[in-house]
Amino acid sequence: MWAYIARRSIQALFTLLIITVLCFILTRLSADPLAQYATNPNMSAADKAALRERLGLNQPMPVQYLKWLGLALQGDLGNSFFSKQPVAEMISQRLPNTLKLMFTYEIITIIISLFLGILSAVRQYSMLDNVITTFSFIGFSMPIFFIALGAMLIFAVKFKEWGFPYLPTGADIWDPKDPIEYIKHMILPVSCLVIIGTAGYARFIRTSVLEVLGQDYVRTARAKGLSNRVVLYKHALRNAALPLVTIIGLDIPGLLGGALVTESVYAWPGMGRLFWEYAQRGDFPVVLGILLITSSAVVVFTIITDVVYTFVDPRIRLT
Amino acid sequence: MKRNLSVLLSLVVLASILLAACGGNATQAPAAATDAPAVEPPAATEPPAAAEPKSATGAWSQEPDNVVPYFTQMSYAIWIAQLTLVGLGEWDDQGVFVTELGAEVPSADNGGVSADGLTITWKLKEGLKWSDGEPLTSADVKFTWEAVMDPANAPLSRVGYDKIASIDTPDDTTVVITFSELFPPWQTLFTQGPNNSGSILPKHILEGKTALESDPFIHQPTVASGPFVITDWVAGDHMTLARNDNFYGSRPILDSVNIKFVPTPETALAALQTGDVDWYPDFSESDIETVGALEPDIHLKVVPGADFEHYFFNLGTTEGVDGKGKSDKAGFCPFKDVNVRKAITLGINRQAFVDSLLAGKTTVPATQWPNSSWSNSSLTPDAYNPDEAAALLEAAGYTLGDDGIRHGDCDGVDTKLSFAFDTTDKQLRVDIALATQSDLAKIGVEFKPNHSPAGTFFATYPDGGLLGHGEFDMGGYTTGFYPDPMSGVMDSFSCDTIPNAENGGSGGNSYHLCDPELDSLLAAVNATADPAARKAAIDAVQKHIFDQYYVVMMYARANVYGYVDRFVPGAFGFFSNMNWNAELWDVK
Repeated sequence: MWAYIARRSIQALFTLLIITVLCFILTRLSADPLAQYATNPNMSAADKAALRERLGLNQPMPVQYLKWLGLALQGDLGNSFFSKQPVAEMISQRLPNTLKLMFTYEIITIIISLFLGILSAVRQYSMLDNVITTFSFIGFSMPIFFIALGAMLIFAVKFKEWGFPYLPTGADIWDPKDPIEYIKHMILPVSCLVIIGTAGYARFIRTSVLEVLGQDYVRTARAKGLSNRVVLYKHALRNAALPLVTIIGLDIPGLLGGALVTESVYAWPGMGRLFWEYAQRGDFPVVLGILLITSSAVVVFTIITDVVYTFVDPRIRLT
Repeated sequence: MKRNLSVLLSLVVLASILLAACGGNATQAPAAATDAPAVEPPAATEPPAAAEPKSATGAWSQEPDNVVPYFTQMSYAIWIAQLTLVGLGEWDDQGVFVTELGAEVPSADNGGVSADGLTITWKLKEGLKWSDGEPLTSADVKFTWEAVMDPANAPLSRVGYDKIASIDTPDDTTVVITFSELFPPWQTLFTQGPNNSGSILPKHILEGKTALESDPFIHQPTVASGPFVITDWVAGDHMTLARNDNFYGSRPILDSVNIKFVPTPETALAALQTGDVDWYPDFSESDIETVGALEPDIHLKVVPGADFEHYFFNLGTTEGVDGKGKSDKAGFCPFKDVNVRKAITLGINRQAFVDSLLAGKTTVPATQWPNSSWSNSSLTPDAYNPDEAAALLEAAGYTLGDDGIRHGDCDGVDTKLSFAFDTTDKQLRVDIALATQSDLAKIGVEFKPNHSPAGTFFATYPDGGLLGHGEFDMGGYTTGFYPDPMSGVMDSFSCDTIPNAENGGSGGNSYHLCDPELDSLLAAVNATADPAARKAAIDAVQKHIFDQYYVVMMYARANVYGYVDRFVPGAFGFFSNMNWNAELWDVK
């Protein structure tokens, strides 16, 4: 197994290198960092030229990339073109907020999805299954901004207007003295993410469980007189969990990138907003720093997922 | 099955109850975001007790890069500087230059401006102090200039500061600035304006430091000279400010101010409706009707500004004029004819856009100095007149073709009046471009809009930007020339500032306009420091641009604010936004 991990890690380094090259090219071509100064009446042409030189943008693109890469390999993600702050510091300010939001969402989503997905599979084609399926499709089809703004309108604006207890509209940073307030601010963004997430997960779990329930060994277990509960929890679920591990394993690194729309609508100071705000301005040190971290997480969690397979399914051996 | 359905419905109901139970209370304002002193907002529906600290919460759509705008051009950085690090003067709600740290505005009458205009003497108010109690003196002003000019620091611009030959400080309250050459816009130096922010920097904190652009002070300043001092700044979330008891002016009424960073106007509007925030200054003109419909709970304030949205013609020529002002690519040939430019101006129903899309809250300006005391009031914008527009095109030799588009001879080539229009992808611009397309089609002109993200549209010459390279027929964006009437004007109109391959793309003349007569008129504005003479000269500039139809003035931009009834703002500034007199902010 260790040889496998070492081999995958080396492959991962090349993957990351390719990712950074592609991201650099896309970021540099999508927005000129100096575009926002175009109509600044107080900057002379000489000022703009000096700024271009200071930021290293006067150099050929390959040189710009290699300089960034050289620093990144030494653990220095550089400074933002605009805030002038170290990128690592900017990310460290936002990452905890994203992790709190996204892991809360992920845990709640998995719990609800397991419950609904299994229920739906066990009661296939029942009224309950149809209801869950219908709501799953509705949740899956609705754009997140619609759900987020709609939830804010109902549970914050309208509830206040109707004289009901209402939820806050925006984010609030963690205050150890007032965790309840923080949790209140999390309810709407987490709920919106859970609605979308549950819709997809529940459908996936339903399909996975149904597939396993149709296997010969499940029929054999039932023929041996085992109860439905034992068949489901002891034999079916463990095998149905394998594809679920894959999905969760690949979803977790994605959580580090935050949820752009939800963070924007609820003014949540997370990674998604940080990425979007600086990508629009062509601030490639910030953009590449975030992408490097999330890409690394994807690569690492892919390897971890492969390793976890061996524990979940003894038939799998890594060589 | 029925039992399972009942269980499911029960769970949904239970979840709803829990959700509501965890929710806020209708009579309780949200708690303060941090442990900053005295920032607990009072109840939304109950007036605060007299002895309770007063606090207000605003929402801004973006977070400042830093608080010292020598190192950023973000409006939000200028705003926060207006609250914390002020200058010698600023512009009031009428656009009149008034003092901040200065005791009086220098003028020829009070001896503050020398006869030759080369020496400006500022007198500071007596007894000025930083928020930490240290005296704020003329030495801080001199230090600020030295810091801006120090090659070890990297300000965005040194324009004007590089014209200063020396600064003398004969005493703690006197600053004598001597220019090496005439610099009429001297009021833009060391002062707080919309396009400039000349905060005075604290010598006792920053002396001896270099690379100030990345110094911790510019993100977390430890002292302030404005009405408030920053006590807490959580990246991406909020900023908390407390009253500066050493502020030079009247004691700020609010004990503290919270600024939350709310990126979407929809969220800001909801936050206003729930009382989570007290004001939002970032609505756009297209939000006017929505916000206005919420009166009397939420008040709408629309302040016509000095920025303007304009369409412009690519007037570039590859040969230039007398060897100057060459462009890499020639503009659309018919635009060389002033009658074609005039016809296009007359063929766009600009007032209809203002009335319908902008709720009638702004105006079609005649010149590039809308709503300003510098505006040439003798000029009035042309009214929509498609008949005259068609007649002008007919007279210019452009006749209707079978496809409904006019064509005619231009420099010996049969040319269709069909051209591209480039601008950004902002929704209001998309809407107005579509309406323009419809208007111009009526006079036989094909107008083809292209919309791209601002980062692409405004890309600089070395990055292949279309404006610099002249790769467009007609373009449109918002700009403004203020607070000094010549702020940015030379860079926009002069023959010498047309970007081309020879000068490495240097210069901001997006119009690719080279008109020696206009160059002479512009030079006259900066040839004197006498305000009356400058006004006469800038009037002549406006008249010339107006008569030549070099640009189509679409509408004057407006600043659109929404604020709740409990919040009492000061007078909204014309140049200086609502932050110029934050010491007067109050809550009911």
